[in-house]
Amino acid sequence: MSRSLSKDTRWFLSIYSILLLAYPREFRREYGSQMVLLLLDCQRDARTAPARTRIWLRTLIDLVRTAPREHLEKIRKENTFMNNLRNDLFAIGGCVLIILAALLLLNYGRSHQVSSILFFGYVLDAIAFTGLLGNLIVFLLIKLTRFRPLRIAFWTFLIVTLVPTLAITLIAGRDPNFNAPNVVIGYVVSFFFWYGLHWLWSNKLRPSETA
Amino acid sequence: MKVPTRRPEEFLPLTPAMFHILLALADKERHGYHIMREVDERTEGNVKLGPGTLYGSIKRMMADGLIEELEERPDPELDDERRRYYRLTDFGFRVATAEAQRLEQMVRSARAKKLLPRTKSG
Repeated sequence: MSRSLSKDTRWFLSIYSILLLAYPREFRREYGSQMVLLLLDCQRDARTAPARTRIWLRTLIDLVRTAPREHLEKIRKENTFMNNLRNDLFAIGGCVLIILAALLLLNYGRSHQVSSILFFGYVLDAIAFTGLLGNLIVFLLIKLTRFRPLRIAFWTFLIVTLVPTLAITLIAGRDPNFNAPNVVIGYVVSFFFWYGLHWLWSNKLRPSETA
Repeated sequence: MKVPTRRPEEFLPLTPAMFHILLALADKERHGYHIMREVDERTEGNVKLGPGTLYGSIKRMMADGLIEELEERPDPELDDERRRYYRLTDFGFRVATAEAQRLEQMVRSARAKKLLPRTKSG
């Protein structure tokens, strides 16, 4: 371990560590560090730059070939797969329905100037925006990382709520027609709405898993 | 350790990667990189196992009881402590033997059909 690594090698090992996310979580946890160590050994033994490049190319091709295989095997072996799939589809479908309902309601309120709907316009706007972006990020992070789903939902929706609120306030703050309190209220309500749904999903709504 | 309840023949044919790994472990225990190098040298560079292929095969073979991981490393002082060593189980040895016999039979058939030259002894 004494020989120092070149900058290129360190860079590629970092990239490879990230690319390992393509493998199922359990496989990564069990063999990820061994795979990086193996590549490190290969790099140390490769004396020329073309030899190192060939190793990287071979490794990338190997990753493309074997990651789907590991996923397929996991799918075949997991008894809970169909159950998880049903849960995922149920959750995604629910989110899509809520977002569509918010958008349709908003559109209807605007086109027909329905004051009772427009009163909640800021909230509907925020629910649609944060719902779309936040749920997409939450879904990907739950699938790709080991963090607890509820914690992921909390931080994602907090960021997805705070950043647009600050950005909109900073950009449009000087506009006399801009209603900053309503925008802030809209995003705060949207945060509690989506995080509340995720909390309910984790604690109450989720269909029981038979496995 | 998992005790296999299946017959060696039920595992045949093995994938080339699995058979190469079993061959690499037939004479001594090795860690992942040693297995990769042994296969590379034995096949004169014709078979190169990538990390995904190697550890994917190792995972399956461990699950089937063909190989097992050593609890202690052979050379703890000379080696990187993160390395994991693997060795053939008795059942893995029987599966490797059965696969070698199957391949031998196929080579014999190929010789009989004149796809391969006859050896001096045969």
